[in-house]
Amino acid sequence: MSDSQPSPEPKPSPEPQPSPEPKTSPEPAARPDSTRTGPGRLLVAIYGLFALSASARAGVQIVTKFGHAPVAYLLSAFAAVVYILATVTLSVGSPTARRIAVLSCSIELVGVLAVGTWSLADPATFPDATVWSGYGSGYGFVPLVLPVFGLLWLRYWAKRPKPGGTIPPSAQPPPKAAPGDAVHGEAGASGQGTVDVVADGNA
Amino acid sequence: MSSVNGAVPTTIIVAGLALAGYALLMTALNRRMNVPLLAATGVLEILLLVEVGLVVAKLAGGERPASLPTLIGYLIATPIVPLAAAFWGLMERTRWGPAVIAVAGVVAAVLMVRLHEIWPVIHV
Repeated sequence: MSDSQPSPEPKPSPEPQPSPEPKTSPEPAARPDSTRTGPGRLLVAIYGLFALSASARAGVQIVTKFGHAPVAYLLSAFAAVVYILATVTLSVGSPTARRIAVLSCSIELVGVLAVGTWSLADPATFPDATVWSGYGSGYGFVPLVLPVFGLLWLRYWAKRPKPGGTIPPSAQPPPKAAPGDAVHGEAGASGQGTVDVVADGNA
Repeated sequence: MSSVNGAVPTTIIVAGLALAGYALLMTALNRRMNVPLLAATGVLEILLLVEVGLVVAKLAGGERPASLPTLIGYLIATPIVPLAAAFWGLMERTRWGPAVIAVAGVVAAVLMVRLHEIWPVIHV
């Protein structure tokens, strides 16, 4: 029973983002006031998780058995630093932090692709796995998907108007915001969703 | 003894995945964090604390895993997951709060599987 578990579990985590992401972009256009709010809340949570697990793993590996697989362990440590950097900069969200976040997400994407390929081509260098080996297969491929969503989120954020400005001009694709529902702002998801929003009151 | 040890992690896996499904439904329905979701997260937290207690009891009994530092790391990190998720999710006043809880549910399940890999004495 135990060994059959690992494969189904990791999958759900990348899935929250894909479907809702495009839907949300038009509706809370004026809502999130930082890269750490809205979908960014989820992104920072997952980045924080990886920052924690990658640094704990690298720390234990380097302290207890560095000679066993030095390349793999140093890459683990590097990955940990990149995750920490991305977590912090995404949650700070200032213009400078966002620039660093774009950089660290890019390094992360290049890293997972390069190390993933390297680990498959030259398994001898990786007797022990890193976060990025096999394109992050040990972590449900979340390491591969995460930087893509990070960069998409940062790009979306860069294109959005300032919090003062009310309506996003044309930058965002408006999938279902057609009938002038923009007045309701938070409701956004036109028509069918209205009851849900009212029911939210008991928060 | 082993049946008790096996029942708790299995319950956590089921509960974690159920919580993730419920939370994702809330996200899909555009709901924010609410009391039932918070209560369910609390139940998961209690289950995780019970599991940590069982593992500590085994350690106190003199048994040791292959990598003690790793196990201790898991024992410290595991109960923090739902707490951190609840805190971070409550700060969010949109559908993305429950999405954070969904992550915590999946992570709790994954942690149980990993715990078993670290120390097969703890049956899952």
